[in-house]
Amino acid sequence: MTALAKAMPQLVTAEPLMRFDSLSKRYGPVVALDDVSAHVYPGEVLGIVGESGSGKSTLLRMMNLQESPDAGTYALDLPDLPPNLFDLDRFERRMLCARRIGIVYQNPHQGLLMKNSSSGNVAERLLIAGERRFHVLREKARGALDASEFPLDRMDAPPVELSGGMQQRVQLAKAIALEPALLLLDEPTTGLDVSVQALVLDTLKRLQQDRRMTMVLVSHDLGVIRTMADRVMVMRQGKVVEEGLADQVFQDPQHAYTQQLVHAKL
Amino acid sequence: MTLASLTRPWRAFSYGFLDASAKREMRRKMIKAVAVPGCQMPYASREVPIARGWGTGGLQVTLTLVNPKSVVKVIDQGADDSVNAASIRRFLTRVSGAGATNDTLAASLIQSRHRIPEEKLRADQILILQVPNPEPLRPVEPNMSAARQMHADADYGRLWLTLYEQIVRSGRVMQGASYPSMVNGRHVMSPSPIPRWDVPKLHMADHLTILSAGREKRIFAVPPHTRVEPLVFDDVPYRVEDHAGLTCARSGLTGYFMNEIPQDGGGSAHEVSDSELGVKAIRRAEGEDPEIGATWYVDGEMQR
Amino acid sequence: MAYVATRGGERAIEQAERMYRAQTGRITPSRVKEIGAALPALVDRVMGEASLYAPDLAALALAQSGGDLYEALLLLRAWRTTQPRLQVAEPVAADEGFTHRRISAAFKDIPGGQILGPTLDYAHRLLATQVLEGEAYKPAAVTPAATPAPARHPSLAAWQVAQGLVEPPMADPVDRDAIPDLTREPLLFPAKRAHTLQSLARADTGGTLALGYSAMRGYGTAHPTVNELRLSEVEVRVRHPRGVTFSAGRVKTSQAEVVTTKGKDRLRLGFAATLGWNEVKVISAATLDLNSPGAPKNSPVNEEFFLYHTEPVESSGFCIHFKLPHYVTFQSSLDALRGAQAKKEAPTPAKTEETA
Repeated sequence: MTALAKAMPQLVTAEPLMRFDSLSKRYGPVVALDDVSAHVYPGEVLGIVGESGSGKSTLLRMMNLQESPDAGTYALDLPDLPPNLFDLDRFERRMLCARRIGIVYQNPHQGLLMKNSSSGNVAERLLIAGERRFHVLREKARGALDASEFPLDRMDAPPVELSGGMQQRVQLAKAIALEPALLLLDEPTTGLDVSVQALVLDTLKRLQQDRRMTMVLVSHDLGVIRTMADRVMVMRQGKVVEEGLADQVFQDPQHAYTQQLVHAKL
Repeated sequence: MTLASLTRPWRAFSYGFLDASAKREMRRKMIKAVAVPGCQMPYASREVPIARGWGTGGLQVTLTLVNPKSVVKVIDQGADDSVNAASIRRFLTRVSGAGATNDTLAASLIQSRHRIPEEKLRADQILILQVPNPEPLRPVEPNMSAARQMHADADYGRLWLTLYEQIVRSGRVMQGASYPSMVNGRHVMSPSPIPRWDVPKLHMADHLTILSAGREKRIFAVPPHTRVEPLVFDDVPYRVEDHAGLTCARSGLTGYFMNEIPQDGGGSAHEVSDSELGVKAIRRAEGEDPEIGATWYVDGEMQR
Repeated sequence: MAYVATRGGERAIEQAERMYRAQTGRITPSRVKEIGAALPALVDRVMGEASLYAPDLAALALAQSGGDLYEALLLLRAWRTTQPRLQVAEPVAADEGFTHRRISAAFKDIPGGQILGPTLDYAHRLLATQVLEGEAYKPAAVTPAATPAPARHPSLAAWQVAQGLVEPPMADPVDRDAIPDLTREPLLFPAKRAHTLQSLARADTGGTLALGYSAMRGYGTAHPTVNELRLSEVEVRVRHPRGVTFSAGRVKTSQAEVVTTKGKDRLRLGFAATLGWNEVKVISAATLDLNSPGAPKNSPVNEEFFLYHTEPVESSGFCIHFKLPHYVTFQSSLDALRGAQAKKEAPTPAKTEETA
């Protein structure tokens, strides 16, 4: 039994939902990931923290199957999937991501069709999954936007006319529309005003509590990680330098780098 | 024996204008297109003596299929006598010696821009549609390589989304002509800019339809007895143009696709878009007895 | 028949064509000859875009179209495509042609020397109005140089390769008879190298200039320096069925090599060539070639973007096709528009739901 399992027995009543083993990736001479392993239990929020270049974004792109490692495996404990998801072809990856993995990007331009309606952005997800009833598309888009605490009187406004915080809520609605098994958040509040950031984080927290949604949150901002994460992974230069329960890591950081981070923040 | 006696006399152009290598490529690509209904097949698309965008794709197909026993009908916007249809018909007969007709029933090859005749086509007839833009995904993805990939993946989410957006914005689907349609349950095609009125005529038809875009160098086909289903939401039915109740001011015909003719002092008159059907009706009224074939629509209702 | 009154299509188009032809009048062999002699630059431009080296046919096409370049081009292309492809000629290396003009902007002097050759680059562009007053314009005779320039010149890129400044070009392993031919197969992307160069060779001069110029002004990433611009005559060497290789004649060619120093640690080259002498076109086309690697999708220097949009027969044809009647498609859209207007007056479930 791991230390974690001892500390939080409720988490190990299930198998991990997601598991990475020994991921490595180089870009020419640059080592992006060096033997990284991780797992996430159902209903858990894993926070990944590190400065730019630490490998956290590469890792997130791999979780979203946008990139493949040089070595290592990635598994999701869902029916009808191979033991290593990197064995899926491009088409299968796309379908899996569309149906089971939601993602919110830092830059809304990456995740949204800026000139389509906001509800349409959400509906597109449902259309990819094969929904062909207009009234159901409307209802589900409305429901997802509502759950993301998006003002429904603006549901057909295009994101290009919305504020940054609202754009992130549209991304979130799109990501949760199909009730994904896994929600990936890539610096979701970076670039927002502090007050707006707090509101978006509130929404995320509420969603997580209401739906017991499994999330992976990547951020360089320790405050954001601390607000959201159950467990934290600290990355530096492609390696995991520290991992543990959030409270533990923040109160008693073990690695020198983590200590530096925590003290700089506090 | 001399070299001259072994060869045919020199001629400025081949039979049917296109040379043998061009026709061979056309035949191969047509067969591929029939084999994978609705899938766009790239082809070389030779230059022909009319300008690109003026029916060069359809013309290459017709030139390949035509033989001296063929009878060709050429229509533009439903009319045989439209200037460009007249030009193409004259070119076709000039280079092939084939017969020409305005009568849908008498034609073996029908080259058309933007319309399908109202009289039902038979298994022994081939419809050749001129296509300006073969790519239904163009509005959502102008890059052709990316669009090709999307077809390979049957990635039509963004296309469906355009329909969703139209309903949200305008309360109904606003797509006019070239209504995107799923062929044989696999490939979405743009059925050339035929009106929505004409799309159901392609579904499970007796005849072969070949669609050819000369400028964009793509050919695709709807073989006989193949499903052609306009993209529609389950709870928002497909709607053809609201022409069922209109009457042609010249021929008295009712229940076919009409041209609207604005009138001095406001209001509109209508005339039947399939001009030869109109001619036949007028001849009947004048006491002649031209044969009018069964039509796809009867009293403005599509017959199944 | 009551309908017949409106059915004058065939007669109308015939008379319309006659009106156009009446403007240009009789076309005689001497007129065609005069066009060929008086307008070599125009003949070259049309031959390049037609990808058909036939000065007499090009002059005829110009006469027949009354100087409408796109019409002349279509005449030539439509004729060309019906001709059999007998052979693929021997490749011509840069240093094998008879060079008339060859300059480099990258160095003050280059091995083999800068050869100015025939050009208007340094002419003062003064309109010779005296001609209209009855005084003929007679160009002064050329004074030959004391020592004639050599006919053949080495390629500057070969020197740069030897200096390690340029990556040696990769030899294309394709068998000569299997070189992809753009006129017989579709252009697909990513394009084969042969297709790209062929497509640029027959691209519209004006279109290539417009997009190339946009790259030069900053919509591309690489600023071109003319490494070498060369106008030559080259032998078209073909094989006799008995095995002898012989010259079937000479054709004028232009080629441009532009270079950027923005490579990683070496120079990067862009290249274009065409039939006939047309300097603006090859410099613009080479600039597009230089900028295309890794260019963002839908930018003017993206290969798919510039190759599709500089195809002269396709672009001009599509442009004029908008003159054709579109009343069926228009009617179809009008119907949808009226339907939407009607819906606005009587709110639909979708609309009421929004305000709910």
